[in-house]
This record gives sequence, C-alpha cells and structure tokens, in this order.
Amino acid sequence: MMRRPAALIGLCAGLVLATQALADELPRRWVSAGGAVSEWISALGGEQRLVGVDTTSQHPASLKALPGIGYQRQLSAEGILSLRPDVLVGTEEMGPPPVLAQIRKAGVRIELFSSRAELDAVDDNLKRLGSLLGAEQKAAELAAGYHQQLDAVQAKVKQAQAAQKAPGVLLLVGHAGAKPLIAGQGTSGDWLLRQAGARNLAAHPGYKNLSVETLAALDPDVLVFSDRSLNGEQALQALLKENPALAASRAVRDKRLVSLDPTLLVGGLGPRLPATLNELAGAFYPVAKAP
Amino acid sequence: MRRRVQPRTLFICLTLLCLLAIGLSLTLGPVSLPLFDTLRAGLRLLGVPVSADGLEQTEMILGQIRLPRTLLGLAVGAVLALCGVAMQGLFRNPLADPGLVGVASGAALGAAVAIVGGSWLGGIPQWFSPYLLSVCAFVGGLGVTALVYRLGKHDGQTSVATMLLAGIALTALAGSAVGLFTYLADDATLRTLTFWNLGSLNGASYERLWPLLLVAAAVALWLPRRAQALNALLLGESEARHLGVEVEALKRELVFCTALGVGAAVAAAGLIGFIGLVVPHLVRLLAGPDHRVLLPASLLAGGALLLFADLVARLALAPAELPIGIVTAFIGAPFFLFLLVRRRN
Repeated sequence: MMRRPAALIGLCAGLVLATQALADELPRRWVSAGGAVSEWISALGGEQRLVGVDTTSQHPASLKALPGIGYQRQLSAEGILSLRPDVLVGTEEMGPPPVLAQIRKAGVRIELFSSRAELDAVDDNLKRLGSLLGAEQKAAELAAGYHQQLDAVQAKVKQAQAAQKAPGVLLLVGHAGAKPLIAGQGTSGDWLLRQAGARNLAAHPGYKNLSVETLAALDPDVLVFSDRSLNGEQALQALLKENPALAASRAVRDKRLVSLDPTLLVGGLGPRLPATLNELAGAFYPVAKAP
Repeated sequence: MRRRVQPRTLFICLTLLCLLAIGLSLTLGPVSLPLFDTLRAGLRLLGVPVSADGLEQTEMILGQIRLPRTLLGLAVGAVLALCGVAMQGLFRNPLADPGLVGVASGAALGAAVAIVGGSWLGGIPQWFSPYLLSVCAFVGGLGVTALVYRLGKHDGQTSVATMLLAGIALTALAGSAVGLFTYLADDATLRTLTFWNLGSLNGASYERLWPLLLVAAAVALWLPRRAQALNALLLGESEARHLGVEVEALKRELVFCTALGVGAAVAAAGLIGFIGLVVPHLVRLLAGPDHRVLLPASLLAGGALLLFADLVARLALAPAELPIGIVTAFIGAPFFLFLLVRRRN
C-alpha cells in the first residue's frame, strides 16, 4: 500500500521530465520574417515565443511592439543574432542569401515556408509550424477549418454563378488615390479575385499603371481598391478625385466598391483570407435586391 | 594664403582615424560582445593560442560577420575616394565624380538586368547564380565606361570635353533603360533593385571580398605613382605635355582604373554615392591640391568615412539595418557644408 503513492510520484516526475525534455527540443525564441507566417504563429498560440518580426508582419497589431528586423529581403545577420533566436522562420522570399548563410553558421535553425498562393502550401506550412510549436492538433484544426471556409465560399460562388453572370472586376492598389496600380494576371490580387468568383478585366501581367482611357473603356462592374495610406470612404474619395474617368464607370454608378486590406496581397495565404474572400464574394454576387 | 594642415600631421590624424574606425567597426554591433571576449577572439583569429572557452559565438560574429564587413567597407571607401580623385584630376573639374564616365550608371543597368531579367535569361548554372548580380554590375560598369572612352577618342586624341558629354548622354540612356526594367519588374524584384541602388555592406563574405581587395590594392598602389603626372595635368593638357607627361596614356590609365575600381566596389556593395565626390574635396580643403598628399589621404579618409557610416547603418535601427547610401550623404554632406562655409569666412 505504501508503494503506490511512491510509484505515482515517480510516474508524475517521469512525465514532467519527459514533457520538459520535449519542450526543450522545441525552439523557444522565434524570429519571423514573413507576414503570413507570423499570423499563423499567432493563430497557433505561439505569439509569446516571437522575439522579433520583419516589416511585413503587421497582423495582429500586437506584433508591431516587437523589435523590427527590417524588410524580409534585406535582413541583417548580426541584428537577428542579437535577438538570440533559436529559429528564424520566413518564406522563400527571405534574404539576402549570404546573410542567411551567416545566420545558419551561427547555429540558428532556419525554417522556410512557402508563400505560394495554393492550399497545399497552407496545409504544409501549418503542419510544420504546428510541430515546431508543439501544437499539432491546433494546426490540424486550423487547416480543417480553413478548408471548410474556403469550400463554403466556393459553393456560394458556384451557386450564385448559376443565377448571375460573373462580374468584371478591377483591383486597384494605390497610395492616397494617386495613380493606382492595376492587379493583372498572375498576381496575388488576381488570385483573390478569381477565388471570389470574379472576372479580372486586366489582361496584363503583374501590377501596372493603366491610362485613364483604358480604365474607362474596361468599365468594371465592381471596383476593389486597396490603399496603403487611407482606408474606406476616404480612400474611395481620393481615388475618384484623382481618377475622374472612374466616376463614370458602372461600378461607381451602382456603388459597387469594395475596399481590401493591402497587407493581404503580400507574403502568401494567411489566416484572414477566407473571411476576406467571403466578403468579396458577397460584394460580387449580391443577394437579389427587392425591386 | 589659407592655412593648410601639414601633410605629416594630416597623415597621422587620418591613420589614427582609420584605425579608430576599424576598431569600432570590429567591436560595435547589434550583438553586444564584452570587449575582453572580442579581444580574445581577435587574438585567436590572428593565430595566438588563447583558450576558446565560451568564445564560439564571439569568434563567429567577429570572424564571419564583422571582419569581412570591415574589410569590405575599407576597400570600397578607399577605392571610391581614390577614383574620385582620379576623375576630378582628369576632368580638372571639382564636380567630377566616378559616375561621370558612366561606370555607376552602367553598373546600375547591369544590376537591373541581373535582378529583373535574371529569371528570363534561364540556363544559368546553379553555382553561378549568387554571383550573377555582381558580375553583371561589373561588366555593365566596364562596358559603358569603355563606350564613353571610345566616343571621346578621335584621331588618337581623347577629348575630355567629348567624354564628359558622352558620359552624360550614356548615363541618361542607361538611366532610361533601368527605368524600363523598373517598369517591367514585379514587386519583389523592384524592392531588391531599390535596395541595391542604396548600397549596403550587409552580408559581406570572404569569397566575394577577394576580387575587390585585389582590385583595391592594385588601384591604391598604382594611382599614387601617377601623382606627379596628375599635378602636371592640373596646369592644362598642353602644359602637362610640355612637362613630359604622356597625357594620352595617363587619361587611358585613369579611365581604366576608375572603371575597374568603381566597377568592383559597386559589384560588391551596390551603389554608394557621395564618397567619390566629397572625400577628395574634404582632403583638398584641408591639405591643398597636391596629388602626392591628396591620393593617399583620400584613401584613408574614404575608408574611415565609409566605416563610420556603416556603424550608423547597422546600429541606428538595430536589429534592422539602414542602407548605407543614405547614411554616407547624411554624415558627409553637413560636414562638407561646414568646411565650405568656414573657408568662405
């Protein structure tokens, strides 16, 4: 009878030691150089392990209080080492390569994640982040939820397309309204638009300026605008003031204008994406209005 | 006559300044290392057998990050300043800087081709791609300078005035070509291009350092030998010819030296403005126009100024880093203005 409590204590101690050892192997101090990666880390409950983030890590807002390591392509080896990280995470956009080599040489683990706009990439990223954070289950849940939300958007779009024509849309990325860049084929913005069931009217590759005349001739059904300095109504007013040609378009006449957070357009697919897609799809396929 | 600093005093001061800059550059950084550890690690790097307990990190940071960076800064600063002297001597114009013969704009064009066009070129072997940018920048700088030189040459005579104008025209042309590449660039390459144009000593490594050190040593050894000829050239081309200077050979050598030196510096660290223009002026204000003093003094001052600028670049926003091109002008320009105003009074 006396033995049992002792055995129990022994077992408990063993368990504690085992988890301790496990926790020791997981990196404790994290530096993240990728916006979406930082967001996923926060979503997985690992925010308190972050000791530094790059300039693209803007969400959640609490990340801005952390030491900044600069732009992800222009990292400084000694700067990052001064934060004494166990691991540096980022996307394949992270660089420059000689700096990464120096960081690796100093014994810091570097984990690269994909910034491709594909679901496979999100699954893979989440799985690896989950095991690095010791939150495999949470990661699996988040991935399942992500799929579910995206499937729901797809279903909604498909259903709406049976009744309505896909709207022609332009995505304008600008700074205080002046000379916006139009998201063309192959851009992350284009991917967003198509996922939400729109036809991107811009046929050029990359982000380009279009002449006012071209804009007017494309006559979009819906305008999505993404402004780095103003938001909402202010951004819209600035945009229309700088580009009077747009005021005559169908989108403005019918007041079908949507604003989009510009931070969603960089650094791969993040956790806020499904909600945005849902919002965009809602704007592209409005529930039939009462006559 | 304005009071001038004695060359000896100037050299002693500049050497001390340079040593101070090297010392600070090796001991200061975002990672704060105890001074004693840094000294021990430094001794170990020099081959002195000191116990290595707990020194791995210090040794790594000193040997792999700070030392190559310091050497890169010294070499780039010295070469830019020396080539600045060469160009101001060649054009007999205080506004001349190494960019005037097109080497900077040519290098920028080469860099734009490498950064934006690298993905279109295709068929680049894996081992070569890390060096593509440097090689393209170097070749671009050399190519445009050669073209400027060819255009200035007529009947075996090189007209400095024609070269100047050709340099301006080709700089404009290269600028618009860079603009075209900027237009074609996507977000990512655009950022890389912008940062390259501001220069940085970040990520210096020995394998990239050797070619520059060789070129810097060659330029630093060769240019001072032509100090007398440069002095003669100050009087005018025909005067120099009467004094027995082979003016054509001198011009060719100056242009070649600048293309090689600035091309290598830009290939290693990106475009760093200001040093080549202002360091020779600073030294001239202090010590007068004698090239026998001007050349070696500019070498020391250029190296020291770039190292001090780099200290600011790496410490001001730590753990992030500023591009050094911003800092050189920010430190150097007010100092230069101060000297100008003082001289006027």
